[in-house]
Amino acid sequence: MASTPAAPGSSRGGARAALRQAGSGALTFWRVLRANPLTMVGFIVVAMIGITAVLVIVAPHVLTPYGPDQLTTDYNQGPSWHHPAGTDGNGIDIYSETLYALPLDLAIAFAIAGAAMLGGGVLGLIAGFWDRPGTIGGAVSIVILRITDIFLAFPSLILALAIAVSLGRGVWQLIVAILITWWPFYVRLVRGETLAVKHLPYVMAARAAGVTERRIVLRHILRNVLEPVVVYFTLDIGTVLVTLSTIGFVGLGLAYPSQAEWGSMMSYYQNAGLITAAPWTVLGPGVAIFVTVLAFSLLGDGLRDILDPRSRRVLAGTGTGAIAAAAPSESASGGAGPAPAAAAEVSSPA
Amino acid sequence: MTDPVVAIEGLSIDYVVGAGRFRAVSDVSLEVERGHVVGIVGETGCGKSTLAQAIPRLLPEPPATIGGGRILFQGVDLVKVPLWKMPAIRGTGINMIFQEPLNSLNPAFRIYDQVAEAVHIRKVREEGRSSVARAAPGPFDYSRRPNPKPSDVWSGKVVPGGAVEEAVHRKQVDRESGVSRTELREDVLDYLRLVRINDPETILNLYPHELSGGMRQRIMIAMALSEKPSLLIADEPTSALDVTIQAQVLTLMKELIEEVNTSILFISHDLGVIAETADELGVMYAGKLVEFGPIAEVFKSPKHPYTKALLRAAPTRYKSDGPLLSIAGNVPNLSRPPPGCRFHPRCPIARPVCRVDPAPPLALIDGAAPPHRSACHFASEVEAIP
Repeated sequence: MASTPAAPGSSRGGARAALRQAGSGALTFWRVLRANPLTMVGFIVVAMIGITAVLVIVAPHVLTPYGPDQLTTDYNQGPSWHHPAGTDGNGIDIYSETLYALPLDLAIAFAIAGAAMLGGGVLGLIAGFWDRPGTIGGAVSIVILRITDIFLAFPSLILALAIAVSLGRGVWQLIVAILITWWPFYVRLVRGETLAVKHLPYVMAARAAGVTERRIVLRHILRNVLEPVVVYFTLDIGTVLVTLSTIGFVGLGLAYPSQAEWGSMMSYYQNAGLITAAPWTVLGPGVAIFVTVLAFSLLGDGLRDILDPRSRRVLAGTGTGAIAAAAPSESASGGAGPAPAAAAEVSSPA
Repeated sequence: MTDPVVAIEGLSIDYVVGAGRFRAVSDVSLEVERGHVVGIVGETGCGKSTLAQAIPRLLPEPPATIGGGRILFQGVDLVKVPLWKMPAIRGTGINMIFQEPLNSLNPAFRIYDQVAEAVHIRKVREEGRSSVARAAPGPFDYSRRPNPKPSDVWSGKVVPGGAVEEAVHRKQVDRESGVSRTELREDVLDYLRLVRINDPETILNLYPHELSGGMRQRIMIAMALSEKPSLLIADEPTSALDVTIQAQVLTLMKELIEEVNTSILFISHDLGVIAETADELGVMYAGKLVEFGPIAEVFKSPKHPYTKALLRAAPTRYKSDGPLLSIAGNVPNLSRPPPGCRFHPRCPIARPVCRVDPAPPLALIDGAAPPHRSACHFASEVEAIP
């Protein structure tokens, strides 16, 4: 009915619809943010952190008045106009140094959480989907889960510290040390979600429609598992940062001052006895850790609402009323009559 | 019995639960003829859904196992087909509509993506591009289907000339399968219109939770039909819907049965629903098919006491006075089925022989012109039951 008159431009109509869809996606995102002030705060702070990290790499002197490891003649000064976070005993500007550490800290956190999510996620998906005992998949699943259990049995921080000690100092060593203790959580999470999703009627409906098993896993199940995993990942960035800083703080992380990292900075100044004499030296990186972790936690909590189509519409206020109102105008533009039945029938069950 | 789409011969299905093992479907034989609607009725727990899901091999195996028998579909015994080859037969060969329309659509995808996936599967197989379809056992000629295209049913040619070429030119063609996205979209719209969805352009962009149960079930029907299956299994498609929507969906299905030439196996516990749609009726009790015949025959002169009791228990508008009748007793526990005929503890005409001798599965009733079969020792006496 609608497409016959609009037929010559149907492909253009499709493009327009896609554009409208993308636009409404951004709008929905904005509405969800507006509905949750805390998520908004998290989103803004995370965005600022991201911009800062990029600026520090691309144009260092925009945000940081002093270069990395640049020594000034101001020794042990408290916060002032010239040194917002004070200086240490060598005359290093704490504010600049803290900002220089930001890209590295973020990169390490994302590398660890990302690799853990990918690796653990794939294993979890396999272990969750092909778990039928007595099959090859079931055997593989059992092997994956037992190995996961072994890794989960160790206290993760202690294990990470032990590995960090044995590997020595360095960025890659640090990433490997934490990653080894990190992936099992994602296996558990993804496996649990997969088990819950794979018995739902729509998976059997997809199977009945002739969808292959591979596509069922990669499309129908993965998309429904993704939501909690992305939320967990975002929250996890903060947790990785804290672990990273802890390892740095006990002196097993990167070697400050040659490589600036927040935990190592705090460790270095504490060992130098500056925690009482010049508390701002520890406060700078400490506040940076605090703000970053908090921002990712706030964003992660709100992400759930943005990713879930159900809560998304409710929060964004583009629920049934808006659709019902939009329906007649849309069909009118398509050259068809009004659609009272569609408007009446579009209703979400309470 | 000339040209059955699917012929089930002596099919038995066991469930293994812990150390126990019970037979949910035992020795069921039936045939669905091309273009016919076969209804299956029975109480809850008598094996209807197990039978329905076993035909396209959708039962999780284990705990279910096929204990014996054959499922002949286009000359291929599905029981012998390895499970990994089954996707080639599902969808375009045997499709299914489930009883939970509220959960049978993936909540994460828009309606368009879900219907398009079904259309896409069919198109790819029709063009012989699917490696899955090539791996299918037996001859699957998807191009020589007798089914009319929905666009022929509706307002003639819907896809405008030149649009496809334009789409190819603009690279709006699926890289993997070579299916035109414009064409796909038009097909999706056609099928949504086929199931009487108003304003499909808007519906395409919605998520399943934004639609009512009736709409969702119609989307499911559209998806199933868009693959032009040879056999459509409808497992209580209207049970989860309220009565008005039920009527809508039923009317729709009846119309579609005439428009799209598909054979349907219609599972229900509602005799009224079956009476509206089916050509033949099978009655199941405790995992066995106890009666099978043309629906008018079965309704007029049932040849099994269970059928008779079911018909008496069905509430009709003509019997508004008096209490609702029920069948005394319960469906037996299938892990310990009664010996002999499984219905004998509840049967008004049971005799000693019924306690020992299970009736032969589906003996032909003498003299019935279209075959009418019953699994009762005393089929001729059923008529006399009040």
